[in-house]
This record gives sequence, C-alpha cells and structure tokens, in this order.
Amino acid sequence: MSLLDFSSDAFMVAFFLYCFAFLFYVIAIAGKKWSNRDPKQHEKRWGRIAFIVSTAGLVAHLTFFFTRWIGGKQIPTSNMYEFMTFLGMAIMIAYTIVYAMYRKPLLGMFAIPLTIIIVAYASVFPQEVQPLIPALNSVWLKVHVTTAALGEAFFAVGFAAGLMYLLRVINFTDKTKQARRAQFWVEFTLYSIIVIVGFIIAVFGFRFAGYEASFTQEKVLIDNKGQDSTIVDTVNYYLPPIVQPYNSQIVEFQSFLGMDKPLFEAPYWMNGVNAGRKLNTVVWSIIAGTLLYGVLRLILRKRLGAAIHPVMEGIDADDLDEISYRAIAIGFPIFTLGGLIFAMIWAEIAWGRFWGWDPKEVWALITWLFYSAYLHFRLSRGWQGLRSAWLAVIGFVIVLFTLIGVNLIIAGLHSYSGV
Amino acid sequence: MLTVENTKCECGHQNAVGTVLCESCGKPLLKDLQQSDTPLEMRYDGVARRSQKSNQTVIDKIWSFFSSVKIAIYLIVITFLTAMLGTIYPQESTFINNFDPSTYYEQTYGLPGKLYYMLGLSHTYESWWFIGLLVMIGTSLVICSLDRVLPLYRALNKQQIRKHHQFISRQKTVFAADIGGDPKEWMTNFGTQLKRRGYKVHQEEGQGTALLAEKNRFSRWGPYINHIGLILFLLAILARSIPGWQMDAYVSVPDGDTVKIAGTNYYIKSEKFIIEFYTDDELPEQLQGKARAKNYETQAVLYACVSVCNDPLKEPVLEEVKRHNIIVNHPLVYDGLKLYQFDFDLKPRLNAVNPILEDKQSGEKYGPFYLPMKDSALQHKLGPFTLDLYANYMEFALNSEGKPTTLSREPNAPAFVFTVKGPGLKPEGEPYIYFPMQKDKVKFAQDTINREIADKIQIRVDGMENVDFSEATTHLNVRVDKALPYLWIGAVFSMLGLIMGSYWQHRRIWLRIDDGQLVLGAHTNKNWFGMRSDVAHALKKVGIEIDPKTLDNGGKNA
Repeated sequence: MSLLDFSSDAFMVAFFLYCFAFLFYVIAIAGKKWSNRDPKQHEKRWGRIAFIVSTAGLVAHLTFFFTRWIGGKQIPTSNMYEFMTFLGMAIMIAYTIVYAMYRKPLLGMFAIPLTIIIVAYASVFPQEVQPLIPALNSVWLKVHVTTAALGEAFFAVGFAAGLMYLLRVINFTDKTKQARRAQFWVEFTLYSIIVIVGFIIAVFGFRFAGYEASFTQEKVLIDNKGQDSTIVDTVNYYLPPIVQPYNSQIVEFQSFLGMDKPLFEAPYWMNGVNAGRKLNTVVWSIIAGTLLYGVLRLILRKRLGAAIHPVMEGIDADDLDEISYRAIAIGFPIFTLGGLIFAMIWAEIAWGRFWGWDPKEVWALITWLFYSAYLHFRLSRGWQGLRSAWLAVIGFVIVLFTLIGVNLIIAGLHSYSGV
Repeated sequence: MLTVENTKCECGHQNAVGTVLCESCGKPLLKDLQQSDTPLEMRYDGVARRSQKSNQTVIDKIWSFFSSVKIAIYLIVITFLTAMLGTIYPQESTFINNFDPSTYYEQTYGLPGKLYYMLGLSHTYESWWFIGLLVMIGTSLVICSLDRVLPLYRALNKQQIRKHHQFISRQKTVFAADIGGDPKEWMTNFGTQLKRRGYKVHQEEGQGTALLAEKNRFSRWGPYINHIGLILFLLAILARSIPGWQMDAYVSVPDGDTVKIAGTNYYIKSEKFIIEFYTDDELPEQLQGKARAKNYETQAVLYACVSVCNDPLKEPVLEEVKRHNIIVNHPLVYDGLKLYQFDFDLKPRLNAVNPILEDKQSGEKYGPFYLPMKDSALQHKLGPFTLDLYANYMEFALNSEGKPTTLSREPNAPAFVFTVKGPGLKPEGEPYIYFPMQKDKVKFAQDTINREIADKIQIRVDGMENVDFSEATTHLNVRVDKALPYLWIGAVFSMLGLIMGSYWQHRRIWLRIDDGQLVLGAHTNKNWFGMRSDVAHALKKVGIEIDPKTLDNGGKNA
C-alpha cells in the first residue's frame, strides 16, 4: 500500500471519529435530562469521552496531513481539496486549544459539525495530488497558507460560540418585532448551513449515480488586432442541468425524473469559466438544502432554532460570549500574520509587489478590517452579548466568502479548480 | 452657559476637567455615578482626555472628531464596504495592454459594467475617495492613540495602593468577607500567593491593610505599538509617490539579446530562456496531455553602463555586475533593483539572416551577406551588384488603400525593399522586395510584387545554418521600491503590538481591610475568566474556597 493510499485511509478514519465525537457530545448535553443519572456526572463523563474521540480524530487527521506531505512530496495545501481539509484540521486544533482553556464540552457540539461539514465539502473537489506550478513552489506557500488557515480556524470557533450564544439567549416564544427578527436570522443562518450540507449531498448523490451531461458553448473572442475568432468549449455537468450555459448546445443529456432538457439558460453576463455550471450547482444546493430543511421541520414540528434552544439551557451565556470573543482575539494576530504579512512577503518575492489589489488580497483585507471593527466595537463601544455574537457570525460568513466565494465567483491569482 | 466644574476629590487630589474616577483614590466624581452601584467604567482608569476639553477651538474640534473611536470604526466599516465593490469586476490595473476601459466594461458586462465604469469603481483603489479614506484612518490612528496613551500612562504610572471603598466594591470582579486574626498578616499571606501567580505586589506601608497587585502592565501598550506600526506602514505607502522611490516597468528580452532597462543605467541580457514541462507520469489523470509548466528560468546577466551611455550613435561600454538565473520566487536583485520572471513567449523570433543573391541569367551566386532584422546596414555590395536599403518593415501588411505598412515593431513578418543596381538592370536601379520568412513570401506573393526583376535576380537563404533566431522571449518585471524596508518595520511593530495586547492581559487586584472586613476588587482589560480564576486560586490558598463564577459582579465583559 502506498503512502498516499494510507493517507486517504487515515482521512476516512478521522472523518468517522469526528462523526462519533459529535454524537458523544450530543449525548453529553442532551442526555443530561435522562432519568436515573446525576446530570453533572453524566456531562463530565460523556464530555470526556467525546473529547478523547475528537482528539483521536485530530491525530488521524494530522497523520493524513503528514503522510500526504511525504507521499506527495509537497505540502498538501495547494488546491481546494487540500486547503479545505487543512482548514478543517486547523479548526480542530483551535477548538482543542480553546477547550483546554475553558473546558466546556458543549463547544464541541458546534465546532465539530463545522469541521465535519468543511471536511465533507473538501471531498467534493478532485483529490489527486497535483504537481505545483512554479509560482507556488516556495517556502512561503507553507508558511502563508497554514498560518492564515489557523487564524481563520479561530474565527470559526468564535463563530460556533457566537451561534451558540444566539441559540441560548434568543427567546423563541417571544412575539415582539425585535425577537421575531432575531429568530428569523438565526433560522436563516441554520438554513444556510443546511444548504451547504444539501450541496454536499447533491454532489455525492449524483456522483454515486454516475450522472453526466455535456454542452458545447460558443464564445466569440476579439484579439488585440481586432480580429474575431470563435472558440467552442465543452462544458461537462455532473448534476442534472436545470440551467444550461449561455449560448450552448446539448451534446449529451441523461434524462432525470422526466426532465430531458434544461429549464433555463444562464444570463449573457455570466460568461466566466463554467459560470453556467456553477449557477446550476447553486440551484441544486438550494433545492437539496430546502428539501432537507423541510424534512427536519416535519420531524421536529418547530423551527430548528426553537428545537435547539432547550438543549442550551443551563449554559452560562456570559461564558459563551467570552469564549467567542476570546477565540477571535486569539485568531486575530495569527490571521494578521498569515493572511496579510506573510502573504505580502510572498507576493513581494514572487511578483515584486507586496500588494496588488487582487480580489483575494482585497477580501483578506476586508476580513481583517471587519474583525478589527469587531474588536473596537467590543472594547470601546461596549458591544457585547447579542451584537457581538451577530458580528462573530457575519465575520465567519466573510471568511468563508474569502476562502471559497472568491475562488468560485471572482477569478484571480488564487483561483483553484471549482465545482 | 459655562460653569466651572468642581473636580477636586474628597481625598484632596485636583483632577482635570472630564475626569470620571479620581486619579488618586478612584472615587467616582460624577454625582449620578456616585449614587448608583453598578460596576464602574474602567476605560483608561477614568482619566480625562484632551478631546474632552469643554470649550473647543477649531483644532480641538478636529482633534475630537478624529479621536473618537466611533468615527474610527465608521471609517473602517466604510473602507471595507467600498473595498468589496471594487472586487465585483476586474480592476483596470489588471489589464496590461490594448485595453480601453471606456468600452471594455460595457461590452463585457453590459449595463451593469457601464455603470461600474461610470461610477469609477473600475479603479476603486486608486480613486481619490478611497485613498482619502485610508488617509483618514491613518489620521484617526495617530490622534486616537495620542489622545489615550498619555492619560493612560499617567494613570498607570502613579497608582495609589489604597483605593476608595466604592472604587473597589464596584469593580467587575469582587469579593467581600469577614476575616478574623491580624489583618496585616492576612494581607501579607495573600500577597505571597499572588506573587506566586506572577503578580507584582505593593502592600501599604505602616498599617499594611491595603494592597495592590498587578501583572502584565506592558500589555496595555500593545495596541499603541500596533497603531504606531500601522502608521509607519501607511506612511511608507505614501512615501512611494516620492520621485525615484518606486519603479514598475516591463522589459522583453529575446534569447541572446541585450536590452537597456529604461530609466536606469542598466542593461539586461538573456543568455537563454529555458522551460520544462511536467511529463505525463508526473501528472494525475485529468491533467495529462496538458502542458503544465514545471519550471522556467531566464539565464540573465545584468550590465551597468560605464561610459558612452547616452550617445545614440555609439555603442555603450558595459560592465557585467551580476549573473543570476531568474525563476519565479527567485528574482535577480542588485542594489535595490529587482528583476522578476513575469511571463514568457515561446514564439520563435527571427534575428538575422545571411542570404545570397543569385543572378538568374548567369547562374552566379554572390554573398552571403549579413542582414539583421533591426538596424541593418544601408548598403550591401555583392560582386557587381549593389543593394540600397529603401524601406524595412517589421510586420508587413497592406493597409486599406493597398499601401505597405507595418503593424508593429516586432519582426513578426519582416520585409525589406532594396534598390538593386547591377548587370542587366536599369542604371538607376530597380526595386526588389524581400521577405526572409517563407510563409510571408507565399502570403504576400513576393514574385508577383517584384514582377520582371524576379526573373533576373533572386535573394534567398541557403540552408538553416544561415538563419539566426531566438527560440523564446522572456518578459521580466523591473522593480525598485525604496519604501519597502520601512513597510516591513511597520509590519513588525504592528505584529509585536498585536501579540503583546492579545496574548497577555493587564490584571490588577485591590484589597483593603477595614475593621476585619475585607473588600477585594479586580480589573483586567481582557479575559475575565482568567482574572476570576487568579483571584479564586489565591483565595483558595489562604483557605477560602469559592466557585470563580461567584466573583462576577455583572456588568460588561470588555
């Protein structure tokens, strides 16, 4: 067995251990109300079991990372799959550090599913080791990507604690306008997370079923001498095409649920590389996510926020507020170093300019400015509790956009392959 | 109406206007604050700042505006919101040549693109308002820091050990109890426990019933050091507009050529450009068959001109100063000048040919003669024939009126027009057009253009050894940036300040015992969890066991 195969196995082990750890955290929290047990004792016992399992998962994940590094002869942080798995691992490291400080098992109930989703999301992307292009062949690749991801991982933990805070303090029976607005946005946040899960399910579901369709798309290019030429691209779909690329012809189309041609065509201004396919993926994610959300609502018979809220009872809201803030305060210097300073040093060495207003650079700056505003709001304007928790949630949305959205929507120096 | 505020505290200390807590004993000075019992606002220890002066001049008003953290946050928020807009479509600066922004955005993105261009968002980051925002953030950084760091320094530099009872009991972390025994001994004992946790302990002289314990005060300077770093950083960016501090140019060098780097005294030669691709064995399945570059480099030599540098008629005298293989991530660096591998072009480029002239009537061959594409000699004598160069086109084409013209200054389709004199030709000479490249000869029908002279003579190349061409052209990016060292110094300061301020927290504990009644108050700028556990730990060591959480007096968690 080659080292790379061993590495993939370690990854699977890590994934399942995370799933079990999550389960045990749920037992630790939800099981407190079970009969014939002392709630404190129960939480302590299961909390410890869950922490041991999640740590074992992290060890397996680290094994994956280092064996892939040795087997692939380059640090596995150079394409979307490798980067996202690394981010998942960094979140586990950040979580472990924060856990060591505060010893709150409940944090795992939110941080670990976040890791699971990110790791599963990573698996959507091609997993082969790809040889580096010369621009990436630098020691700064290792330094910049790993520190930036670690900083972002602390923001992720801050997000998890912030979301927990919201679920803990928002009163889901209150009917005032303000409370309704808060309930709506918490529900929307949970729904968005479920849409991402829906995306993963849709991609894996159709991949497993072997679905394929393809189109040819005509594009007219005008070169710098004013001569026009037409190029024909083939666009392959792995999800049934609800939206076809702009100005394209069907080459192959497997019928899906009686649908044997696309329902819409992408608008003309969506002419980027595979823009039509990306739009189709978004449509599918929303469909799958909404279905999943609907099923959950039918089972629970109330809004997800209202269903999770009782589980959070008995947790000190102030602790959650402080954990969220602390995680962000720890992550901020790391992100500054990795996401901006190391990035600038590398940009200076590779391109001769430390800053070029590339979309990825701008979004890293936006992330940094956002969290510095967060810290100032908190320290000088006394924004704590609810407002601070909302900012932690919005901040992580910006982080995710910087990491994924920029690559998928805006092209630039950092574009990796996308689905 | 102007009233003179009485700012003298009962302890006898005269405080500045705007002081919230007495600088000496810590007693709240404002009436409504004295009557309440909520935890105190401890920011800057309640000391007055310059921006809080009551009658303000214009400068004071500007100072007050920029010293407000609220304004600073607004500036930050506006900056990142507008920065977002700039990423919607590619910025103008990402296009290098042959790009007309006034039509590009509309053609590519339609109406939204047109609006984007008209609003000036296609050059967001160079626009006056965006740069203005950055300058305002810089100003705010300077003023906010100065406005706060001086009072804070004063407050922390001369601290009273014995604080007002209200000051202690209205901290966010508090503890009160009756203690038996000798209060001084108890205090000393408790102080020892705090020392073990890294605190500097100051016990009141004499009675010994008041105590101040403090640790990590240096972390309070973190934010200011960070701000100084950021200011340096922003100044370094502004300094780049000083003439000569910054240069950003591109130079294209065909294999074997030596090219002057415009605006400098240097010449760069590319001895050879090498490119290596990944083989299929090294690539995963989906990438196979695609040319994925593994490595490319320019074997470069940098020359400095030592004399005859600016005479276009004479060859400059060059001296080699540096030899380096330029690879991505490994630029050539010499005395502040940096040359980066930017791009390459694998289209072969014709440098020179050595053609012969054939007299078709006699069958005689003359030559070969040296004919470079650029700067050829104006006259060539070949046996009985004389060739006078009449015109030279680099990229030959016929314009809309059917007249010859050149499309560029690169020898992509070179053509030479000679006036040929010699046996069998008119005495005043006859024109002859010569295309060195076979493809152009066919495309433009050389023999048809030349008409009857084509039957008398022919200029052609005998064999590939008489053709000199470059296999590749390397494109290098030339950089000078003198502000760079200051930029990095700024970054180091900023980082240092961030680490100081984030990973250590300033913690202080005040105690006093009056008639066997202990009150303890503790303050930190961050991490109350750690603050409480420090206090609970020391209390436990002196025999008082409590849950750290019960020390919390409510209030905000800054």
